[in-house]
Amino acid sequence: MVAELKYEISQNAYIKLVLHALKHKTTAVNGILLGRVNPQNDSVVEITDSVPLFHSNLALLPSLEIALIMIEEHYGSKGLGIVGYFHANERFDDAELGIVAKNIGDHICRYFPQAAIFLLDNKKLEALPMGKDQSPVMQLYIRDASKNWKLAGPDGGSRLVIKEPAANAVLSDYISSEKWQDVVDFDDHLDDIKKDWLNPELFK
Amino acid sequence: MVSKTEETQLNRLENQVDNGGGGAWEYLCLVRKLKVRRSEKVLKYGLSILNDPKKRSALGPEEWTLYEQLAIAAMDCQCLDVAKVIHKRRVAMAKAQGNISVAIEWLNKYLEIFMADHDAWRELADIYLSLQMYKQAAFCYEELLLSHPTVPLYHLTYADVLYTLGGLENLQTAKKYYASTIDLTGGKNTRALLGICLCTSAIARLSKGRSKEDKESPELQSLAAKVLEKEYKQRAADKLGLLTSALRSLKI
Repeated sequence: MVAELKYEISQNAYIKLVLHALKHKTTAVNGILLGRVNPQNDSVVEITDSVPLFHSNLALLPSLEIALIMIEEHYGSKGLGIVGYFHANERFDDAELGIVAKNIGDHICRYFPQAAIFLLDNKKLEALPMGKDQSPVMQLYIRDASKNWKLAGPDGGSRLVIKEPAANAVLSDYISSEKWQDVVDFDDHLDDIKKDWLNPELFK
Repeated sequence: MVSKTEETQLNRLENQVDNGGGGAWEYLCLVRKLKVRRSEKVLKYGLSILNDPKKRSALGPEEWTLYEQLAIAAMDCQCLDVAKVIHKRRVAMAKAQGNISVAIEWLNKYLEIFMADHDAWRELADIYLSLQMYKQAAFCYEELLLSHPTVPLYHLTYADVLYTLGGLENLQTAKKYYASTIDLTGGKNTRALLGICLCTSAIARLSKGRSKEDKESPELQSLAAKVLEKEYKQRAADKLGLLTSALRSLKI
């Protein structure tokens, strides 16, 4: 039996995406997951970085196409590829994977067949400052044999992990200091090309 | 037809509310039940409930009914501003509760009456886009463009929607609207410039094997590319390499 794939996201990639969602609380946002299959263990996909994409018109193709070309080009030269997609719904109590997210996820699977979708879990995010939970505030979705997106089962919690155990504590700190204001996404770049979607100074 | 007793009951209730004795909601329910037309009073009492958060939340699911009744009364009294506010709140509530199809229905009804409300057209377009109903979203932008032909954002988003819809005709029209966006914004709108390049590339791919008359002239694309490269060189030099490869991959 083929071992089920595990997804391990780095602290910075993880925090960047959540901060992006917090920066744009009233709209849906999305992002791209970059990484590779772990060279020592091919049942683990490592997500080493992320790029926040858009906070408006997520369903329109032109900006998405340009973003994917540029992102692939940049990370390809570092030996990394697009391995997944992140999505945060507009409404707090909407925990469904919507049609736009699924379609973009399908498109990403053409780059990387085992691509996953991480969906922001608002309830978990809200509970963050109060608990000691080290698991990510995201839900993992993968495609089944019929190419339908399914929420990874009850043990899905252990299939999506953050590499650094203290990540949620760091995230909580950043939230208190309103660090989300510093996050730049691709939308910001297209509005003003001086803004860098690589966010090189974010965690310095 | 309202009976004598019913009319007396209604008038008594009306007097009570008028003199500060409460019972506004009962009055509104009675008016609805008897199907009488007392729009000025309905509007006055209804708004007093709406503007009081305690009274409003005490209504629970009946809040919807209040909105509907108020909207009709407001229009009857020619209080169009009030009608607008009420309609907008209804739509906002429907959206907040995840009732998207209801929000669409009410937005459409609202726009039948208030067709000049561009915020509402945009809101409707956004909802359609989130459901990937691109044709319907395009229609909203067509309405917006009719009434506001010089707003660059509408040209740009309309072009984006058409590109997303795809197909040769839509792509050619999208290209025109990216061009008009560039016209209206002084020539440096990054999204529109990239849009030109994307359209030209997609049109070329679709036109493979067609007769020469359908071939696009390459001037617009190379001009757009030149402007983009110049802008990136000046303001985002570290990304110039990525832009150049992106443009190269589109020229095929």
